[in-house]
Amino acid sequence: MLGFALVLLWPTPRLLGSARWPPLSPVPALMLWQAIGLATGLAAVGAGAVYALGALGDSLPHALLAWWRNPSAVRNLSAGRWVALVGSALLAGYLLAVAAATTARTLRTRRRHRQLLDLAAGPLSASAAPRYGRVLDSAIAMAYCLPGLRPRLVVTSGALNTLSEPELGAVLLHERAHLSQRHDLVVLPFVAWSAALPFLPGTREARVAVALLIEMLADDVARTQVGAEPLTGALHHLGAAVAPDAALGGPGANLSGPGPAPGSVGDHALALRLLRLAAPPPPARALGWLAAAVAIALVAAPTAMLLA
Amino acid sequence: MPRLGDLERAVMEALWSADVPLTAKEIVAALGDRGQRAESSSDAAADRGGDGALAVTTVLTVLSRLERKGVVRRQRAGRAHTYRATASREDHVAELMREALGAAPDRDAALARFVSAASPDEADALRRALRALTRRPARGGPS
Repeated sequence: MLGFALVLLWPTPRLLGSARWPPLSPVPALMLWQAIGLATGLAAVGAGAVYALGALGDSLPHALLAWWRNPSAVRNLSAGRWVALVGSALLAGYLLAVAAATTARTLRTRRRHRQLLDLAAGPLSASAAPRYGRVLDSAIAMAYCLPGLRPRLVVTSGALNTLSEPELGAVLLHERAHLSQRHDLVVLPFVAWSAALPFLPGTREARVAVALLIEMLADDVARTQVGAEPLTGALHHLGAAVAPDAALGGPGANLSGPGPAPGSVGDHALALRLLRLAAPPPPARALGWLAAAVAIALVAAPTAMLLA
Repeated sequence: MPRLGDLERAVMEALWSADVPLTAKEIVAALGDRGQRAESSSDAAADRGGDGALAVTTVLTVLSRLERKGVVRRQRAGRAHTYRATASREDHVAELMREALGAAPDRDAALARFVSAASPDEADALRRALRALTRRPARGGPS
């Protein structure tokens, strides 16, 4: 099982990251990324637990039951198994703690941003603007959304001056898609994952890939309702209709990541999105189902190993 | 009674416009000048003094909330307290944009413009180029 975890940690994310099919089926691709993350965690923690408690019973549930019935049985474990047990517990605890800390930091940053926004920005009164829309007085053309239970959708006065009515409408649809589909919840585990294990290249790969996929999902919503042209025009003016923002843990949710020069990966991502808008690829249903099946299998495998 | 959020915004407006520290009474006067008398609910009447302005206690409550949020600072000036904004509105807007831009690095829109104006042939060439690009995502340096 440890081998399973190792395979997931390194080659698989790189494989998926450089695959070209995800833009054809963003939702199954997202499922696959989530499955990789979950399966890796299960395998890494489970491997140690299974090895350590193997002496107490022939399956993990049996072993745990035996341990509960006879707590002192743990003392008879060999040193190697002890190390594995403690290691597993520490890893699990660490991952959970980082997840909790990331969530707390996200909520705090977001709340702070929202409070300041409500004081310094005026209401957005364009047509089709939601009541949580705001206008920031700035010459830079920009639009972003602040996700959460009390969402905000922000457009700068520069954007209002630059965008035409249909373009603004498309941007609003794109941002509202982020909010209604709760992309912040989709991204959060990956931000936590790469905060917990920043030295693993797979975690950054995952975060960047997921950020791009949700942009494409939001693009799709806008394109379905008003066609591709308004959003394409808007993207030219804005340079980006931004993803759920920095409030998701600093550089966590952006497209460029903390490593390479800002703009390098971002331009690439923007070009992909524009191309996809200009020539929407036909839906790849079979591929989608296959990816979903693989995702389920990825999680089922370590789970089965843990329980059997 | 106007909603708390609207009151907070109105108080900040008053502080930003004045640009000097104000006492609570001066803020009440400034808010009164903005036509707060438009409120007509009985709740509003209770909050207001006879001359139709907001009660000082209401403004003090709002000010302490703003203080907790860190956007207002209270100083003692003689026997009264004065209040001032910790930063101008422009400073706050800049901070908000910086935070939001942290998730959206400055993009070079040149490639984007080229894509929109492309003829079918150019689009094909670009598609091929992008296909080559996707094999090896750009690393380091603007594209």
